[in-house]
Amino acid sequence: MEVLGNLGLGFSVALAQANLLYCFLGVLLGTIIGVLPGLGPVATISILLPFTFGLQPQTALIMLAGIYYGAQYGGSTTAILVNLPGESSSVVTAIDGHQMARRGKAGLALATAALSSFLAGTFATLVLAAAAPSLAEVALQFGPADYFSLMVFGLVAAVILAHGSVVNAIGMILVGMLLGTIGIDVNTSVPRFTFGIPQLGDGIDFAVIAMGIFGIGETVANLERSGAARSYVQAVKNLWPAPQELRAMLAPAWRGTLLGSALGILPGGGPVLASFSAYALEKKVAKKPERFGQGAIEGVAGPEAANNGAAQASFIPLLTLGLPSNAVMALMIGALMMHGLHPGPQLMRDKPELFWGLVASMWLGNLMLVVLNLPLVGFWAKLLTMPYRLLYPAILLICAIGVYSINNSALDVLVASIFGFVGYLLYRLHCEPAPLLLGFILGPLIEENLRRALVISHGNPSVFIERPISCTLLILTAVLVVFLAAPMIRSGRERVFRESGT
Amino acid sequence: MKVRITTDLLTGVLFVALGAFAIIYGSRYALGTASRMGAGYFPLLISCGLLLIGAFLVARALLGGGEALGAIGWRPLILVLAGVLAFGLLIDRLGLLAAGVLLVLAARAADRGFGLFETALLAVGLSLAAAAIFIYGLGLPIKLLRL
Repeated sequence: MEVLGNLGLGFSVALAQANLLYCFLGVLLGTIIGVLPGLGPVATISILLPFTFGLQPQTALIMLAGIYYGAQYGGSTTAILVNLPGESSSVVTAIDGHQMARRGKAGLALATAALSSFLAGTFATLVLAAAAPSLAEVALQFGPADYFSLMVFGLVAAVILAHGSVVNAIGMILVGMLLGTIGIDVNTSVPRFTFGIPQLGDGIDFAVIAMGIFGIGETVANLERSGAARSYVQAVKNLWPAPQELRAMLAPAWRGTLLGSALGILPGGGPVLASFSAYALEKKVAKKPERFGQGAIEGVAGPEAANNGAAQASFIPLLTLGLPSNAVMALMIGALMMHGLHPGPQLMRDKPELFWGLVASMWLGNLMLVVLNLPLVGFWAKLLTMPYRLLYPAILLICAIGVYSINNSALDVLVASIFGFVGYLLYRLHCEPAPLLLGFILGPLIEENLRRALVISHGNPSVFIERPISCTLLILTAVLVVFLAAPMIRSGRERVFRESGT
Repeated sequence: MKVRITTDLLTGVLFVALGAFAIIYGSRYALGTASRMGAGYFPLLISCGLLLIGAFLVARALLGGGEALGAIGWRPLILVLAGVLAFGLLIDRLGLLAAGVLLVLAARAADRGFGLFETALLAVGLSLAAAAIFIYGLGLPIKLLRL
């Protein structure tokens, strides 16, 4: 039982006092920020990144994962209590969850969300532990050409699943890749697009971009949209579900778990796609579909399980292939790189304690969520009533200090304010910023692998078709592009996302 | 023909401008060959892609349709960005407390309903809390106050 041995190693790391403490802190802070309306996981992680800079890589990653789960759960809490989903993956939770809250079942809805998430988290952690070593084994066979095709595939998949306009998303990826070329070119030592500023030689830190766009830019956009709905927070009581309610949530939670874990592995997949699909699935298998939208418990259990399962499973391509499948994973890869770690198959081989420690702390993080959220839910509800005017100056200050602290560089703060403007502009132009972040992270990797592949093949591009792995990935990419072009599917996709109101 | 400023049009124009700028500015980097790529090869590929995408958006926007760009909220935009800029320019010279107070003041001025006493209290309180967390808690080497 190699898996058990590995998990044993993982738990010995995760249960180390410091790691346990930071995992808890991450979950706590993540929930606190994530509960605030309008702040989803990407913004939350961006804002809290500076707290992890000074930590050991292992501890930092564990804390970040904790922040991610906390933020995601915080978003569900907000969605249920005040019908303000902080991120698109809890949009569906808001539909039935908020209806439950209005019928005096806020406690039951929150407990359903927590317990379904926990079930999904546990299952997906096991999937990760079981699947990762063999996937990493496969990934070790990958040559530069295969990596190139894999990343192109990942980007195309991300475009298809992005919200809003596909053309805009492609443009944003290209802008991100262009930003990624800033700095000294590793192969030729030529400084590119540095405009004579020596500090730009190392490139722009991704945290500067993330905090600028998601922390500063979104604050400006929120302020402009002032007069945001003041909502009334329901009193929370009757937290623990009755046995028949537990039974009612079990089957949907399992379906959501399986669906979410499967969809999370796909590049471009992730919590959003998973929760939408799970909701659709529950509606389809329900005996009385008309109850959906009226406070159906299945409408909370299924999607919540699915989004947590997918959140967990999206670590699989990240940790085994080095492929971030969504913006949150792009943040994770960026955070790892700041600690000098490059995710991919070598990571598991060279730093098993980091890999398995993370896997174990994922499960612990999920457990903490249940322990933390059920008793503290009254506190979260209070937090929701905190006025924005006290909140956003704090967010801006944390971002400014955080950006400064990366390199103790005042220039970084100035660059971040430029990205704050960019973030605001993108918001006004209805361009999702997430593909930009993916492009920024994947751009340099794509360039590197493209160059290496062509050096090996002496400039012959047929290498991408001759290698079986690369060829398969490119065919898959082509299939995706055909789907993208098919108008029927496209209108279906737009409909799904229009329902979400994002 | 009167051109309506839509979000698509503006996005397209920005993509074209950025792509064109990168092509022109990037022309100083050697292209090399496919087997030995120079520093300019990959940026050129991306910039051309961006230019094409931008041109497509502009063309589509000129054919009509699309959502008009609404009014811009200049006050939050300018004041928030000015606050962050000021923070960046002053942190090395004045230290965290002074730069932090300025940032919070500028940020609060960006919003309507600006109460002087509350804002002053918030600015000092947040800066002290930030100093406590970042300098004492996390041990970051940032100057507290320098006048």
